[in-house]
Amino acid sequence: MMPLGLLGTGEKAEVMEIRERNRGVKPAAACCGPDGNGWSCRMENMGLRTGKVVEMLNNEGAGAMLIKVDESRIAIGRGMAMKIMVRRQG
Amino acid sequence: MNTAASSWEPSVKIPEFETRDLKRKSIAVAVAGNPNSGKSTLINGIAGTRLHVGNWPGVTVEKKEAVFEYRGRRIRLVDLPGTYSLSPYTQEEIISRDYLVREKPDVIVNVVDATNLERNLYLTVQLMELGIPVVMALNIFDEAEKKGYRIDTKAIEDMLGIAVVPTVATRKIGLDDLLKRAISFAEESPLRLPKHLIYGADAEAASRQIEDHLRKDHPSVAAAYPLRWLALKMMEGDSRVMEETGLDEGGLLGETLNHLRAAHEEDIESLMADARYAQASGLTREVMIRPAIRKMEITEKIDRIVLNRFLGIPIFLAAMWLVFKFTFDVSTPFADWIDAMTTGPFRRWAVAAMGFIHAPAWTASLVTDGIIAGVGFVLVFVPVIFAMMFFITFLEGSGYMARAAFVMDRAMHAIGLHGKSFIPMLLGFGCNVPAVYATRVLENPRDKALTSLLIPLMSCGARLPVYVVFIGAFFAAHAGTVLWSLYVMGIALAVLMGIMFKRTLFKGESPMFIMELPPYRMPSFRSLMIHTWEKGKHFLIKAGTYILAVSVLVWFLLNLPWGVQNKKDSYLGKAGQVIAPVLEPLGFGNWEAASSLVSGLIAKEIVVGTMGEIYAHKAKEDKKEQPSPTDDFREIGTSFLAASKKSVSNIFSTFGISSLSAQQDDESAGLKPVLRKTFTPLSAYAFIVFVLLYMPCVIVAIAMRQEFGTWKWFGIAFTYQMALAWSVAFVIYQGGKLIGIGG
Ligand SMILES: Nc1nc2c(ncn2[C@@H]2O[C@H](COP(=O)(O)OP(=O)(O)OP(=O)(O)O)[C@@H](O)[C@H]2O)c(=O)[nH]1
Ligand SMILES: [Mg+2]
Repeated sequence: MMPLGLLGTGEKAEVMEIRERNRGVKPAAACCGPDGNGWSCRMENMGLRTGKVVEMLNNEGAGAMLIKVDESRIAIGRGMAMKIMVRRQG
Repeated sequence: MNTAASSWEPSVKIPEFETRDLKRKSIAVAVAGNPNSGKSTLINGIAGTRLHVGNWPGVTVEKKEAVFEYRGRRIRLVDLPGTYSLSPYTQEEIISRDYLVREKPDVIVNVVDATNLERNLYLTVQLMELGIPVVMALNIFDEAEKKGYRIDTKAIEDMLGIAVVPTVATRKIGLDDLLKRAISFAEESPLRLPKHLIYGADAEAASRQIEDHLRKDHPSVAAAYPLRWLALKMMEGDSRVMEETGLDEGGLLGETLNHLRAAHEEDIESLMADARYAQASGLTREVMIRPAIRKMEITEKIDRIVLNRFLGIPIFLAAMWLVFKFTFDVSTPFADWIDAMTTGPFRRWAVAAMGFIHAPAWTASLVTDGIIAGVGFVLVFVPVIFAMMFFITFLEGSGYMARAAFVMDRAMHAIGLHGKSFIPMLLGFGCNVPAVYATRVLENPRDKALTSLLIPLMSCGARLPVYVVFIGAFFAAHAGTVLWSLYVMGIALAVLMGIMFKRTLFKGESPMFIMELPPYRMPSFRSLMIHTWEKGKHFLIKAGTYILAVSVLVWFLLNLPWGVQNKKDSYLGKAGQVIAPVLEPLGFGNWEAASSLVSGLIAKEIVVGTMGEIYAHKAKEDKKEQPSPTDDFREIGTSFLAASKKSVSNIFSTFGISSLSAQQDDESAGLKPVLRKTFTPLSAYAFIVFVLLYMPCVIVAIAMRQEFGTWKWFGIAFTYQMALAWSVAFVIYQGGKLIGIGG
C-alpha cells in the first residue's frame, strides 16, 4: 500500500482506504459537510471510493494532480492525495 | 453482489393511492443532475430561455427558472445547480437539495451524462428516494455513441421504475419526447413513483419504525418531508436534517438508531452509501456495453500539453494575453464609434430638440451635460465589456478554464488558497459581482471569505473606462504597457494581501482541493452568445439605471445650490474640496478628482462620467460647425461600417493595442486636453492606481453581504482597500517625485 500522491504519471492502482483528515477512522455520523471533516465523503460522491481503479494522468511532484476514475477526470490536491491509500497494479 | 433487479421493489402501494385531478394546470419540473451534465443546455433547448451555460462544473450556482405554456399547461422548469449527491457539501448542493425536499416539484428530470453513467446513477438512486416521479434524460448521448457505448434504456426503465429518454441537448434531439414523458409522469404521479432501493432487512425495519414514529409523534415534520427520505437521512446521521426538523436522538428515535448502529459497528452512513453505489455500478454493468479497447481521447492528448509542468503556466499566460489583445482589437473601433456618436450627432440632436421645445436652459443642460455626457461616457465601454465577456466565455465553454485552475494550484498555495479559488478571481477581471457569487463553488467558508476579500483587487471592466481616458490623455505612446501594469499590480497586491491574510485572519489548515475537469468541447455559437449576453447585460442595465440616475444626481449636485456660477461652489464641488486635502499627498488634491472619486463609490465607471459632467462646459466650445441631420445619419452609418472593418482587420494585425490610444486621442471629446491641465503624468498614474484599489463598488458590497449574511467581510475589504489605495498611490507619487519623474 502506498499513498495515491506517490503514484507516477501513467500508473494505475486500486483504492484500498481513504483516511479521514483528523482521525484514522471515519467518525460516526460524519455527514458530508463543509466544515472540512467528512471530505472523504465528497470524494466518494464524485466516484472516488474504495475498490475503484484509478489512473494517474498527471503528477508533477508538486501542486495538484489529475487522476482518472471511471469516466471522470478529477483534479485533487496533494494533501488529499496523500491520505488515499492505494495498491499499485500491473 | 446480487443483481441490480432483485433488490428493488415497487414503491406504489395501492391503498395509499389518492385520486388527483389528472389534468393539472401547472406543473413544476425540477431539472437535477451532476455538474456539467447539460442541464442548462437542455432547459435552453426546451424553453428557449437564456440560462447560463458553461463547460465548467458548477456554472449554475443559483436555481433558475423558465416558465412556458405547453399544450394547455403551464410548465415551470427549474434549473438546479449540479450535484454529485444529495448529501449537502457545497452551497450549490444545499440549494438543490432544499428545493427538491421542500418545494416538492411534480416531477424530477434527472439529466444524466451518458458517457459517465455509473457516477451519474449514484445521484439518480438518491433522487428516487424523494417520493417524486423521475424521468431520466440520458444526455450527451451523441458522445456516448461515438465512444461505442451501447445503453439499454428499456432495462433501466424496468429496473428502476422511471422513464428514460436519450437526448442530445445541444442539438435538441429527444427534448420533445422528454417533455411529454415528464408531463405524463407528473400527471399520473402516484402510479409512476420510482422503485425503492432495499438497504437490507434490518435497515428497512429501522426505516419503517422511524417512519411510523414520525407519523405518529411528529405529524408536522412527517408532513413536511418525503417520509422515507427523512427516515433514511436520520439513519445516516445527517446533521442538517436533524437541525432543521428540530428532532433529537432521544426517545424512540434514538433507540432505533442505536440499535441499528450497534448492529453495524456505528457506520450506517457508509453502509448506505455503499449500497447505493453498488446499485449504481451493478446497474451500469447490466445495461451498458462498452468496447473492449479504449482509444486515447483527444482531451487526454490536449491535457498532456496544457497541464505539462513546464508548459502549463506559459500557455495560461499566453491565453490570457490573447484574451486581452482580442478584446481590445475587436472592441476599440466600436468604442470609438459610440464615442463619436454620443459626443457628436446625439448631442447635437439633443441640443436641437431642446431648442425646438423651448426647454429652459437648465433642462437642456441636464439632458446634454448630465445625461448624455454621463451615460455616454460609460456607454463607450459596452463593446469592451462584451468583447471581454465573450472571450472569457469561450475559455469557460471550451473546458480550458478548469485547467487554468489546475495549473495555478501550486501558485495559489502561496496565498493560502488552492486552484479552485482561481476561477472566481479570474472572473473578477470581467466584473467583481459575478466573481463574488462564483465563490459558491468553494466548499470551505474560509476559502470563500479569503477569495472574496481578494477579488476586488482584480481590475474589473468598470475600471477600464477610467484607465482608458487617462492613458489616452497621458500615456498614448505606451498604452498597452501601462494598462498591463495596472492589471499586474492588482494581481501582485492580491498575492501580497493573500500572504498577509493567511498569516493573520486566516490561519489554520491548508484547504482541500478536489474538482472535476470536463472534457474539451467546442462551445456552440448559440451558447457563447447567450452566455456573453448574460454576463454583459448587467453592465448595460447598470448604464440604463444606476448610472443614469447617478448622472442626474451628479448634475444636480453640481448645479445646486441653485444658480451657482462656479462648479467649485456646488454641493459636489464643496464635498470635493473637503476631501481634496487628504488626496493632496497623492498628487491629485483638486476638487474635481475628489468629487469624481466620491461619485465613483457607486460604480467605478461613474468616475469618468462625473469628470465628463464637470468638464462638459469646457468641452462644448470645441464643436464649431453644425452639420445637417442628413450628414449625421450618413456619418453614423459609414463610420459604423468603418469600425466593423477595422475591428476585423485588427484581429489580424499584431499591433492591436496601440490602436486604442492613437484612435481615442484625436476623436474623443474635449476631456483629455482639460485633464492635461489638471494632472501631470505622474499624478495621473497615481490617480488610476487609486481608482484600481480604492474600494469595491456598492454592488459588490451588496453581493458580499448576500453571500456571507454579514457586513463583516465587506467592512474588512473596505478598510484594507482604502488603506492600500492611499499608501500605494502615495508611494507612487512621492517616490516618483523623489526620483524626479513628471512631478
Ligand atoms: N456533445 C454534447 N454536448 C453537450 C450536450 N448537452 C450539453 N453539452 C455540453 O456540455 C457542457 C455543459 O453544459 P451545461 O448545460 O452548462 O451543463 P449543466 O449541467 O447546466 O452544468 P452546471 O450548471 O455546471 O451544473 C456544455 O459545453 C454543453 O455544450 C449533448 O447532448 N451533447
Ligand atoms: Mg447549469
